[in-house]
Amino acid sequence: MTAADLTFRSPATLAEALTELAGDEDAIAVGGGTSVALLLKHGLIEPRRLVWLGRVGGLGEIQAGPDGSLAIGATVTLRELAASAPVRRLAPALAEAAGQVGNPRVRAMATVGGALAHADPRQDLPPALLALAATARIAGPAGEREPPLAGFYTGFMETVLAPAELVTQVNVPAGPGRRSVYLRFTPASEGDFPVIGAAAAVLRDAGGLVTGAALALAGAGPVPLLIPAAGELAGRMPAEADIEAVAAAAAAAATAVSDQRGSARYKQAMAAEWTRRALRACLE
Amino acid sequence: MKLSFTLNGEPVAADVAPDELLVEVIRGLGLTGTKQGCGVGVCGVCSVLVGDRPVSSCLYLAACAEGEQVWTAEGLAQAEPALIRAFAEQEGMQCGICTPGQVVTAAALARENPAATDAELRQYQAGTLCRCTGYQTILAAVRAYLDSR
Ligand SMILES: Cc1cc2nc3c(=O)[nH]c(=O)nc-3n(C[C@H](O)[C@H](O)[C@H](O)COP(=O)(O)OP(=O)(O)OC[C@H]3O[C@@H](n4cnc5c(N)ncnc54)[C@H](O)[C@@H]3O)c2cc1C
Ligand code: FES
Ligand code: FES
Repeated sequence: MTAADLTFRSPATLAEALTELAGDEDAIAVGGGTSVALLLKHGLIEPRRLVWLGRVGGLGEIQAGPDGSLAIGATVTLRELAASAPVRRLAPALAEAAGQVGNPRVRAMATVGGALAHADPRQDLPPALLALAATARIAGPAGEREPPLAGFYTGFMETVLAPAELVTQVNVPAGPGRRSVYLRFTPASEGDFPVIGAAAAVLRDAGGLVTGAALALAGAGPVPLLIPAAGELAGRMPAEADIEAVAAAAAAAATAVSDQRGSARYKQAMAAEWTRRALRACLE
Repeated sequence: MKLSFTLNGEPVAADVAPDELLVEVIRGLGLTGTKQGCGVGVCGVCSVLVGDRPVSSCLYLAACAEGEQVWTAEGLAQAEPALIRAFAEQEGMQCGICTPGQVVTAAALARENPAATDAELRQYQAGTLCRCTGYQTILAAVRAYLDSR
């Protein structure tokens, strides 16, 4: 069922898009529409106004700062992200996550903004951005803010986004010498959601000492999960025992439920295993 | 609402609902090569090109096609005979249900990554399911097509 008075708007500027969203309490943003179309089709959402961001100017660029930071516009597609030379160089985990989402048709349409706001905990992009300490720039009726992604997800398919707010840009801070990786395991077809995905980012000094580390998981709970124990690798030359401690913390933090992709216990074991693999890949 | 776009090189105008899907519009215009299979973006039989992007027309809001160049398997068969020849010569089909999707996907790959390695080709085509061929002849057809360009 869709509202009989449903309308489709195609604003050309961010200001117009925000006005269109604020103008109807039942308005929703459409990025690539890959999830919106599905939800509409199955009657899971009943908006009255679709505000498509596809023609909004200025949201479709990837910019690399001189310091090695990245600014990624909200309508950049996952296919553009996966193919971007600066993203592959400065934040490989992000390119790897984007390049593994679904199939080429999903990646050609799905946007960074939609991939963040959809907030399905099995999605690939959120853990990569969490591990990279990214922030999301948000614009809305109350102005602009830029919270760290760490507090962005508040529950299953819930975020801090207020009605009529948009993600306009995602910023990935510079990390000189940072290594990052995203690995995932899909028990069904390659295009399926992962049972577990793991993103790791590790910074080391010239002597090999870890100066910062982060790890985040997809599929391990109601929200994408940051594992704070990874931060304790800082100040060390990590040995297998240190990696094992983070893997144990990941298993303990995983609150995944049993479903067709595996039992809760299996997913906990997989959270530990893919934590090990992601950290080793950054440390080897 | 009014929608104008170019379909297989010809301008079209249609009246569509705001939540109408592109697959419905295309089939409504009599082009039935584009199929509705799973309806949830997984199988690929509804694939069309919008500009240079492959999309699942079962999950693509028709309104987003305003002003775009849309290509279906029928149009590609006319515009790129080498593509169809490769599928025929390599016997890249059996029942034929998935063939329009395979063809559109191959055309998308040729635009996105014309120098695709065999591994990249496999990964790209993997999103378009086939229940007959076992895929090898499809992969051979796409390989032959890419090599012929
Ligand atoms: C067949 C299929 C397979 C998939 N497989 C995977 C997979 O393997 N891994 C994975 O991670 N995901 C997968 N997905 C999900 C996919 O990642 C999401 O559908 C996609 O990222 C959503 O992006 P979009 O731009 O299409 O968003 P839309 O569908 O346009 O929007 C999704 C949500 O985000 C909101 N929104 C969109 N843009 C903004 C913005 N700028 N600001 C605020 N809110 C916004 C919308 O209002 C809506 O609530 C799959 C989807 C399909 C259909
Ligand atoms: S019908 Fe569109 S992908 Fe299956
Ligand atoms: S040829 Fe029958 S499904 Fe592919």
